Order: sequence, then C-alpha cells, then structure tokens
Amino acid sequence: MSEDFEPKIVAFVCNWCTYLAADLAGTNRLEYPPNVRILRLPCTGRVDFNLIIKALEMGADAVVVSGCHPGDCHYTAGNYHARRRWILFRELLETMGIETNRIFFSWISAAESKKWQHMITEITDQIREMGPYTAYHEISEATA
Amino acid sequence: MTGQLRERCRRLLQDGAVQVVIGYGVSTSDGMPHPIFVRRPDDVDKLIWNEQCMANLTTYLTRDAVKALGKPAIVVKGCDARALVVLEQECQIDRSAMHVIGMACAGVGSPRAPKCASCDVHVPAAADEVIGEAPAQTGPADPPYAELEEFLQKSPAERFAYWREEAARCIRCYACREVCPTCYCPRCIVDKNRPACLDTSATVKANFAWHVTRAFHQAGRCTGCGECTRVCPVGINMRLLNQSLARAADEHFGYRAGTNRETPPIIGAYGLEDKESFIR
Amino acid sequence: MGRIGVFICWCGENIARAFDMDELTEAVAEIPGVRCAIHYKYMCSEPGQALIREKIRSEKLEAVVVASCSPHMHLKTFRAAAAAAGLNPYLVEMANIREQCSWVHEPYEDETVAKAVSIIRMTVHKVLRNRALEPIRVPLTKRALVVGGGVAGIQASLDLADSGYEVVLVEREPSIGGKMAGLSETFPTLDCSQCILTPRMVEVGQHPNIRLYTYSEVESVEGFVGNFNITIRQKARYVDIEKCTGCLECWNRCPSREAPSEFDYGLTKRKAIYVPFPQAVPARPIIDLNSCAKFLRNECGTCLKVCQANAINFDDQDMLVTEQVGAIVVATGYRMYDIGREQENAKYAGYGEYGYGQYRDVIDSLQFERLLSASGPTGGEVKRPSDGAVPKKVVFIACVGSRDNAKGIPYCSKICCMYTAKHTMLYKHKVHDGQAHVFYMDIRAGGKGYEEFVRRAIEKDGARYHRGRVSKITEENGKLIVRGADTLAGAPVTIEADLVVLAAAMRPATGVLELAQKIKLGYDEFGFLSESHPKLRPVETNTAGVYICGACHAPKDIPEAVAQASAAAGKVQVLFSKGELTREPEVASVNEQTCAACFACVRTCPYLAIDKAEIRDRQGNLRKMTARVNPSLCMGCGTCVAVCPSKSVDLEGFSEEQIYEMVNGLI
Repeated sequence: MSEDFEPKIVAFVCNWCTYLAADLAGTNRLEYPPNVRILRLPCTGRVDFNLIIKALEMGADAVVVSGCHPGDCHYTAGNYHARRRWILFRELLETMGIETNRIFFSWISAAESKKWQHMITEITDQIREMGPYTAYHEISEATA
Repeated sequence: MTGQLRERCRRLLQDGAVQVVIGYGVSTSDGMPHPIFVRRPDDVDKLIWNEQCMANLTTYLTRDAVKALGKPAIVVKGCDARALVVLEQECQIDRSAMHVIGMACAGVGSPRAPKCASCDVHVPAAADEVIGEAPAQTGPADPPYAELEEFLQKSPAERFAYWREEAARCIRCYACREVCPTCYCPRCIVDKNRPACLDTSATVKANFAWHVTRAFHQAGRCTGCGECTRVCPVGINMRLLNQSLARAADEHFGYRAGTNRETPPIIGAYGLEDKESFIR
Repeated sequence: MGRIGVFICWCGENIARAFDMDELTEAVAEIPGVRCAIHYKYMCSEPGQALIREKIRSEKLEAVVVASCSPHMHLKTFRAAAAAAGLNPYLVEMANIREQCSWVHEPYEDETVAKAVSIIRMTVHKVLRNRALEPIRVPLTKRALVVGGGVAGIQASLDLADSGYEVVLVEREPSIGGKMAGLSETFPTLDCSQCILTPRMVEVGQHPNIRLYTYSEVESVEGFVGNFNITIRQKARYVDIEKCTGCLECWNRCPSREAPSEFDYGLTKRKAIYVPFPQAVPARPIIDLNSCAKFLRNECGTCLKVCQANAINFDDQDMLVTEQVGAIVVATGYRMYDIGREQENAKYAGYGEYGYGQYRDVIDSLQFERLLSASGPTGGEVKRPSDGAVPKKVVFIACVGSRDNAKGIPYCSKICCMYTAKHTMLYKHKVHDGQAHVFYMDIRAGGKGYEEFVRRAIEKDGARYHRGRVSKITEENGKLIVRGADTLAGAPVTIEADLVVLAAAMRPATGVLELAQKIKLGYDEFGFLSESHPKLRPVETNTAGVYICGACHAPKDIPEAVAQASAAAGKVQVLFSKGELTREPEVASVNEQTCAACFACVRTCPYLAIDKAEIRDRQGNLRKMTARVNPSLCMGCGTCVAVCPSKSVDLEGFSEEQIYEMVNGLI
C-alpha cells in the first residue's frame, strides 16, 4: 500500500453511550488517529443498513456501528433490535462478498473511553494494512 | 385436477361465496399458464392446473385493483401458501375474507424449478380445501440451502465479482419487486426522494445497493417462492441472496418465514440471547 | 435554506491550540450554504452568545452551527441564545471539534484540520435540513389513579390528596389495608401494625380528594400520559354502601358461619355477610355468594329483614364506571408463595415435604401474624390451630421458596429474616417458657436498627438459630418432628415441635400480569413490575405517566414500600406541576399515505408509542390502515425508522434527509 494512504472510517454511534465515550476520550485526552468521522444518532436502533451501504458508496474504507451494551440502551431495547438486524445483515454481506472485516459492530458504554480509543486505533491500523476498499470504490465509480 | 378445480370454483362463484377466482389460465400468446381473474361461473372453464403453473398468485391479493373485485378465492401451491402466512402476520390480508384452494403439487416447471428439489410442502398447509392427492414420496427433499452453500464455496472476492457482474447486467425493471408477494409497499423505498435513500439510475453502484436492499427487506419474510428469479429478464439469481437470509433466520432464530403464523416475525422482535460473538 | 452562520469557538486554548483559527474559518466559509463564519474566544460566554444573536439578526441567518464542544455540553445554551434572537432553537446544531477533535488529535496536523472541517461540513449539511420545531403540548388531567389499597397505595393516595390532587383509589378487596392490616406488630420497633395503619385508612376513607373504589378492579386502561381513560369494574357487593349505616345488625344476625375467613387466612370462619375486619374501610359489609343460604338455596334472607336502611340488594350487579386521570400509580403488592405441593405454575415446585396443608400445625408466617395479633382469632394468645394448646416449642423456617432455584425462586424475599426474628421475640413475650428455633440460610438484617433487633431476638429473647435447611417434617404423637441440619455444628438436628411457621417467599399479587398488560408495563420472569431505570428512575416505568411502588416491584418491607410510595407520589406531583405537558419535539411521525401498514414499527417500538390506525373517507369508508405515532409517548429512538421498509416513518432531529446529507458531507 502507498505510504500516504489514510483510511476513511465512518462511525455511526448512539448519542447516549458511544458518543459520550468519545467525548470522555476527549476529556481524558486519549489520543487516537483522526481518520474516524463520527455521526451521532439517537440509538443504534436508528442505524439502518442503507446507511452502511451509503457510507461505502461515499468512499469509506471501514464502517463502525457502536452503541450501548445490551441492557443499557437509553431506549430499553433499541440496541437489541439493532443486534438482530446486524446478525442477518452480515450474512447477506457475506453472500455478496462484501468485506465484512471492514464493518465493525461494538458496544461501548459512556464510561469506556479507553475502549473507544483502542478500537479506533486498532481499526485504523488494520485498515491501513488492508488498504483502501478498492473493490467497492470501483463499483461506485463504474457505470453500467 | 383441473376438472375438480373448475367445479369447485363454479360452485363458489354461483353460491356467491366468492366474487372472483384468482387462478391460472392459458395465455393466448404463448400457450403457457398465466394468472387470470374469473368473475363469472361461465368462465370457470378457462381455469387450468398443470405442471407449468409457476406463478405465485398471492402477490395479487394486496393490490387495490384486485381487492376491488370482491372476496377472492385463490389457487395456491404449497410454496405459495407460505406467503399467505407472512401477509397475514403483517396485516396485509384478512385470511377469513378469502377462500384458499390448495393444489397438491409434485413440482412445477420443466426442467423442475430449483425450489422443488427441496420442497417439503407438496400439500398446502392451512388451505380451506385441497385438490389432489399428496404425490408419492420420491426420496427425501434436498437440503434447503444447497444452492447457496455451493455458491459460498467461492472466495469472498469471487462472490463480490459475481455480484458486481450481476449488478452490471441489472436493468432496474423492478420485475423482481412487482412479482414478489411480500413486496407490497405502496411506495417502494427506491421511489422515495428527499432523501433518495437509493440511487435509481442503473449504474453498478446503484444496482448493487438495490439488490442489497431488496434482499434485506425480505429478511425473515421471504418464503422462497423464487418468483423474483424466475421473472428476471436478465436472469439474476436473487434466490441466493434470499436463501442467505432465510438460512440466517433459520440458524440464528429457528425461524422459517411463512410456516407458523403464531410465531412473531423476527424483525420487530429480539432475544436477550441473540448472537453477540461478532460484536466488539 | 442557504444562510447558515458558523460560529467557531476557541474554547480558550482548548480548540485554538490545534488549529490556525483564521485558516479554519476560511475553509469553513467555503462550504456551500455558509453565509458567515466567525471565530471567537469563548462562544458560550455572554459576549460570545451576544455575537451569535447579533449575527442572526444582521445576517438574517436561517440556521446556526456552533463549532465548539460536545452538544451534550452546550446545545441547550446555544439553542436558547438563538431563540433569544428570534431563531427557532431547533435550527441550531453543534459541531463537536473539541472532545472529538482538538483534544484527541495531533495539533496542526493536516488530518486533524481536515477532520475539523469535515465535522463542521457534516453539521452544516445537517442543519440545512433542520426544520423549525415547536415543543409538543399535551393536555393534562390532574387526577391520579392508585391501584391497590395496601400501605403503599394508601401512602401514595394520601400524599397526592394532601397536595391537592384528586385521587381515584381502586382496591379489589372489600376493604383497604392490604397485608399490613393483618400484621401483629412491626419490626424493628414492635409498634402495633393496626395502630399505625388504621388511622391512615380512616383518613383515606374520609379524605375529600380521594374517591375510593373497594371491591373493584381496573377493567381497562386507554390513553396515555396526562390523558388516561380508566374503566373500573365495581363488583357486586349485594349491599348498597351508600345506604348502609354500618350498624352491622346484619352481620350479628346472619346464621351462617361456614366460610374460612380471608382476613385470618383460614384460621377462623366468618359469616356469609361480613365485614373483613372490625376496622375495615369502608366499614360496610359484603355478601359472599358462595356461603349465603339465600344464594345457595334461596332460604334465609335474615339480613334483608333486619336491615333498617334497606341496603341489602340480592339483585346487585357488577357496574362499570369510568374515570379520567393523568397519572397512574401501581401498588398491587404481594402474595405468598404457595407452599403446598400443588402449584399453578410447574416452575414453582412447592414444599410437599413440609406438610403444609396436611398438618394443621404447620402454618405460614401471615397466619402466625394473626395468632400473635390482639385482634386475631385467639385474641393474641399463641394457640396452635389443631387443639388450641399453647405451643412450647416452635420451629421457624426461613427461605421457604426464596433463594431456592430448585423451587423456582432464586431471589431473596428480603423481609423474612426480620419478621422471623420478630416472631421469635413476640412468641417469647407471650409464652415465657417457650423455646423458638429458627432454621436459616443467612441472616440478612441490613437496615436501620435491624441487625440490633436480630441480636436482641437471639441474645435477650433466647431464640436458637440453626444455620441449615429442613429436609422433612412429619407428625408423630401430636408432635411435629422437624429434621434438619445445622451446618455450623456439622450435625443433623431433630426438633420435636408443637408448631412450625414457614416464612414463604414473596411473590407478586395474583392478576398483576393482566393489569400490567392493560397498562402496558414490563415485568420480569417472576411477574414483578419493571422500573424504568434501577438506580435513577426507580419508581418510573417505561410507560410515561405510570409509576410503581411497594412489593409489586420487588420484595420490600413497610418502610421501603412507604418511601417508594411517597417517591411515586412525588413524581406524579412533578408531572402535575405544569399547566400542560410539554415534550421535546424530536419524535417520529408517519407518512400515512405511503405507509404499507405492515406494522413492523408497531412491533418494534420500545414505548408502544405506535398504533394501528384507520384512515376513512368522508363517508366513513375505510380507505386504508396506517401506523400512527403518538407524539406524547414517542421518546425519539428512531428504531421504527430503521425497520420501516419504505421509510414511511421518520424522526425529527435525526431525519433521513439530515442523516443522508451528513453522509454526503462526510468525505
């Protein structure tokens, strides 16, 4: 991979846990790579699969979806509904040959700023290693 | 069976038990069975039943023009009947306001439709009446996801390349959507603007996203009738995508769409014990 | 919309140390739609806010982005500032370039700057699609329904009534008072239960703000917070309690005395027309169909003849009445674990080996309370049920059901350790030469004065505690042979007892699940009702406007139940403190024309805020079905949006348009 490849990572995070974890990472000055773009949504339950596809179309090299741990959802059950959809969606992605090792799901509570820091650092390194998601970007640029 | 079917339908129409029979008739253009809507007892002789009766007629039940014809009787095969369960679970039909004529079926199409190899519903479940006898068992049915499992032997890159090619061939005619009994939204998501969640142009990117969307909207809902694939003018095998979600529903939640109306649909429900292992 | 103002905050050095603020501002000014971009040292300070207000007016800004800290920190501040300048507050968004950028990334690095611009660009994209919103106003009926007239329900009712709100109190038994009315004395102070409770009961009965429905049940609940419609079934009592003067001549003269007394837990018989107990509120009788000769054989009718007030009505029917309330407090309390072998649910295995229901002198702790009570069947003398003899040796067994997975209940019933210690004391006070034995698993005496109380039972009143379980109880020669183990001594223990008292587990009252379904409340696997948050919202539920208190929530003692009841009443008062309910407008709504009525959203909504609705034409013909969000209940999670296949439901504040625009602005 070229030395100056900077992975583009899009994170859809819930307002009440993971967004606050990212805030806390700031408060604690926990440094991590600046490659992630955070989209704040009320709940992981709000994250539709279309958004993941849309992010890939926009040139993302990896997508993160993160919210409250099971049992901690601000809205009681939004994350459970999300989890169930992800289970199914991942199987579809597998069948379509989409690189599921570029799509990450996580539970990060408002207190887990270190987990956020570590995860983003790890994912950035990993994607830097893997290179850009050329296969998907090619279809985004191709015309039929 | 055709004779029996005609007699039953004649009686149903004569008695006023139903106002329309949704069944198969012979197309004047190609001589193959096509959907017909019989409203008069005199016309029941247009109804036929044979091995070429491929279409899943339940897709017509949710259409306004068909609803306007009055209480229907509908001719279904075992595989088609599963869609009735989904439609009922999703409040699209009132099962008590229709008469379901189940046709015992040994398989359709020549060569046989792929779904028939793994068929386990030769006699429709929960029909109001069944015409014909259960076919003699010809050995155990194939495992339901055999076609998918074979496809998954390919590497992810090969699979992606395959779907990229298929997406490149797709002409976005939406026949797959129109024929599907469980694609009944009056305004499909692709037809929504502000925002346009999906690009409607027939580019590879947009077609790819369409096929992801079409398939995922069938998660836990597709009953495997295979009509999408049968009608596709460019021959895209959407069954593979449908099967991958059907298999996921089966494996993770023990759920098979259209087999039991009492089991709540898996989208809109959740389990505390749902799989976690892929979540960091 | 194309007049966006972007206000970039230095946050002193916190943001400014990472960027050349002029360059950053220039880059932001290039973003399409941005009318002006300004940086300032402290946007949240009064001069900073003044700057925003001034620019909103002078530049005729249509929306504002403040690029500074987390929206969790200052979104409210900046929305208020915008509102002060006449801009709808929901047209303000924040771009978080402090916590999520300047604090965590290398200053002045290209990627850091690019990220900051990107965050601001995304937010500009979003705010371009924001809509002016108004808070949702919901009318409010300032009356409360309290379900259950035990001590918790009484406390909640009185607190609310005393603060000036009307209360509808529904109790399914003929009298309020609940379990506490039948208790003898209460730990750890040993004050007499009835002495402290009955004045409160009388207060309820006479309170001008309390409408009391006894022998009544909640039939149905419709509506939502602020606007509940309650239907109450007043069960036929066969005595008109308005006409009845409470002289109780009917009770004195009724010749029947066959039915087991509910109040004495079957230790005595009562008449067919009866008042549950002398201090009942209302102190009005009721006729029990199943033991009255008039109903059974069409004989007698004595009560009808003796009643001067003409209050007896053998043709009485159940009546349905409706009440409008704005809030509901559920205080349905508990019942005891069925100790006998037969269970309503196979999960609960029962305790056939203890001979409850088989040996008359094996009783449960509520029955023992009656034997200790001055108003009880023995006038407060401890006499055993079989022969009325004073028992000289009494065995108390704790954790009968509780903490016993094999019997289906893993939880601790919390109060049994304390009341068992109390039982040994009261017994010793009444039978000086008696000996109490207690079999226990652990002693859990957390609470003010509780541990001291248990020590007193052991050290002063001589109760003998055996740490271990009882395996079997048999009856031989009029004695109950209790075989157990003392695990501390490491030896089996056999006691020849005259009376055995079982401290059975607490379970939620019967019928609570049906009630929970009517009110749409969550409950756990044991049927205890679920609070909204175990720590921060302990008396709220996930159904707005519905609160829980007392043992319907979990096993608890009287002080806790009362504290929780007051807390629930306090929450209702908070709700009622405003003229109307106002809620954040960032809720979901359905495009009813395109909705396919598959109702995936209805199944998904964690708050049951989405209903199936009909759209009819002017002639009243059904045109179509649709999902419809009740904005008074929606909490704005957006899970419905994700499951809607046609995206016919959308969420204000995080709309499809806003999010797609953000994604478009991402990279």
